Amino acid sequence: MESKKITFSIDSNLRDVALIGLSINKICSQIPLSDVEVYQIEACVVEAINNTIEHAYKNSSGNPVEVKLNLGIDRITFEVCDIGIRMMASHTPSLDFDPDDLENLPEGGMGLFIIQQVMDQVDYTSGNGQNILKMTKIFTNKP
Amino acid sequence: MRLETKKEGGVFIIRSLESRMDAKVAVDFRAEIARHIDDGNKHIVFNVGGINFIDSSGLGAIVSCLKHVGREGELVIAEADETVLSMFKLTRMDRVFRIYETEREAIQAMST
Repeated sequence: MESKKITFSIDSNLRDVALIGLSINKICSQIPLSDVEVYQIEACVVEAINNTIEHAYKNSSGNPVEVKLNLGIDRITFEVCDIGIRMMASHTPSLDFDPDDLENLPEGGMGLFIIQQVMDQVDYTSGNGQNILKMTKIFTNKP
Repeated sequence: MRLETKKEGGVFIIRSLESRMDAKVAVDFRAEIARHIDDGNKHIVFNVGGINFIDSSGLGAIVSCLKHVGREGELVIAEADETVLSMFKLTRMDRVFRIYETEREAIQAMST
């Protein structure tokens, strides 16, 4: 079976992120995933786009954000593409905190952690002026 | 962010009239709730029953409000559906917030 592909394109404006999120939720609801998994995949794509807008484009609108979706027989892949500032290479994001230490609870930095937890493969590449965050979720042999 | 608020005894109840709590509305939410806290409302039930999507920015805004309430107050969550609850669990925020199935349960717990 050939994979099915679609590309979404928005301006780098947080106002428009939900348009892609809702579309991806609808597409993912057609494949064998639970409601929670579909929701979390939508969340990952939204987090990736938010990161692009906030960090690659420093919250400035007027820049392109593309999400290329590739639906295969056993996996769905998203490539979130921008031409902004590349993400700094960093270690695997962690989210260690003391739930009783009110003052030091995290208010940010959870996006990449969520992506790493939910997706089966995550890769970030930069080249030829373009940054691509590639996220893959495999859905065969689900209970 | 459009919110509905009411007071029951000493408990301040917030309900979102938006279905998505994301980066677009997180800043406004934080500012709006901070204003209510500064007005003296430090025992808060946030009924998220109308929310069907929350991202890390939304969660971060709720954490910010919890910090603003401080140790002399409390901010609890009520009526989270399975998907929204999964985000609290994924980010381990279920260890930070008391989460109640219903708004009534949350109000009763805070009133005792």
